[in-house]
Amino acid sequence: MKTRAALPLLGLLLAVAFLASLAFGELRLGPMQVLDALVGRGDSLSRTVVWDFRLPRTLVGLAAGAALAASGVVMQAFFRNPLADPGLLGVSSGGALGAVAVLALGPSLGVAAASIWTLPVASILGAFVATGAVILLAERGAGTERLLLSGVALNALLGAGTSFLLTISAGHFEVNAQILFWLMGGLENRSWEHVWMGVPAILLGCLLLLPMGRALNLLSLGEQSAQSLGVDVRRLRRKLIILATVLTALATAIGGIIAFVGLVVPHALRLVFGPDHRRLLPYSMLGGAAFLLACDLATRLFPIGLRLGVVTAVVGGPFFLWLLRRAR
Amino acid sequence: MTPALQASALTVPGRLTGVSLTLGPAELVAVVGPNGAGKSTLMQALAGLLPASGDILWNGQSLARIPAQERGRRLAWMGQEALFEFGFPVREVVAQGRYAWGDDPAGVAEALAAMDLVDLGDRPVTRLSGGERHRVILARALATQAPIQLWDEPVAQLDVRHALEVYRLARQLAERGNTVLVSLHDIRAAYRFDRVLVLDRGRLVGDGQPHAVLTADLIRTVFRVEATFTTSLVPELPARED
Repeated sequence: MKTRAALPLLGLLLAVAFLASLAFGELRLGPMQVLDALVGRGDSLSRTVVWDFRLPRTLVGLAAGAALAASGVVMQAFFRNPLADPGLLGVSSGGALGAVAVLALGPSLGVAAASIWTLPVASILGAFVATGAVILLAERGAGTERLLLSGVALNALLGAGTSFLLTISAGHFEVNAQILFWLMGGLENRSWEHVWMGVPAILLGCLLLLPMGRALNLLSLGEQSAQSLGVDVRRLRRKLIILATVLTALATAIGGIIAFVGLVVPHALRLVFGPDHRRLLPYSMLGGAAFLLACDLATRLFPIGLRLGVVTAVVGGPFFLWLLRRAR
Repeated sequence: MTPALQASALTVPGRLTGVSLTLGPAELVAVVGPNGAGKSTLMQALAGLLPASGDILWNGQSLARIPAQERGRRLAWMGQEALFEFGFPVREVVAQGRYAWGDDPAGVAEALAAMDLVDLGDRPVTRLSGGERHRVILARALATQAPIQLWDEPVAQLDVRHALEVYRLARQLAERGNTVLVSLHDIRAAYRFDRVLVLDRGRLVGDGQPHAVLTADLIRTVFRVEATFTTSLVPELPARED
């Protein structure tokens, strides 16, 4: 496909998903009503729906989708493996464990999940502890393969913690429902606090990643050759690990573990537009945001208890298989 | 004249022990040695791609003081590994050689032509044969136009025509003043180089003109084979003109 058309096309896709995300739900609004409400005109009900409920939800979804897809691009280039995803190093598992720990143990420890900040902050802390472990390993000179295997071990460890907490809180229906939210992702009840918590930092992270596409190209074809061609691989590795893990941590903190976006979006866009990371990074940010908004829209349009993480997998899986067949 | 590349007491634990050498400009040097002798390690250490103890100087300047980008301009390294996970077009991979020059495209077309890759320019590197992939990474090293070129077994996977082309090119680069260090398994080809380094179990056991170094004795000790000399098993190889 012509790469010249990609940016406008993906931008348009995101704009449509953005407006649709503001328009659809229990109360359906027309496109003009949405635009009116956005600029502060129209009736107060649609203004409230758009400004207080759907806009924060949409912005959080947009940022989480962009962050996960961008992080996926970086992980895949970094590990020279198209199957790498943002959760590979245990960051999202850490985020989930942080939130789940507060949910399961909070009542008995007297830490109520009352404030809207408690869970995201706990999640960010969990994710950052995992991130810290990863960065420490990388700084101690762990090679790419050891980093990957450490991620596998860390994921298993953190997953075991979450499973344990899930088991001991079995029977507490309310707690379990909230835990499921973190494990399967979701954008319900997102507020402006969630927006401020995650969106500006994600935007900054994405902007910092954008100029690194050229160096990523070289790195994705081998660390030693990249170094020999003039890339400061040590510094680049550190920057990439920090940015990718922080983006994943923030996305998890505001939206829970949303599977598959970080794997399938970069991969699909690479199949269509080629592997050049200078293009793949911005494309994936736009595509990831649009994809996540579309999947969230599906959970609202078919209110049969679909979780966001389920939809991303159900929609992404078959689409991905189709692309793989076509690309052969 | 300042030597192009100098190493003293270069050591990589378990792989390379106390190697000292000086390579001048306009020198075409072969590195030979059995499998595991340390040829690749030596090249990676000289290129600054491996932690190694000992001193390395490029053009008289300590390697530790040369920033990453400047390194990419001064020395090109072609490794043995040519496995690609991502399907960049051949032309783009070769153009990566220009990274340290801000992607100024000078030399990319010549490098593609030199490695007979013009017709493959748009082909994704993931769809190339092993030999073609090695020609791509050699072309990338050429595209850097770096005055020091280190090639680790560049011809191991090439057919005879392309292998001869690589030798011809190496000779040409040296004649233009570059330092070219090439590791080889074909000892017969090494006789056509200006100078030969022999590595054995991580130590430099021979360094000098091919006929002086590659004696039947040394070949017996290092490679454990009996060698007989023939004048020219590789007749197309250009010999030094003097």
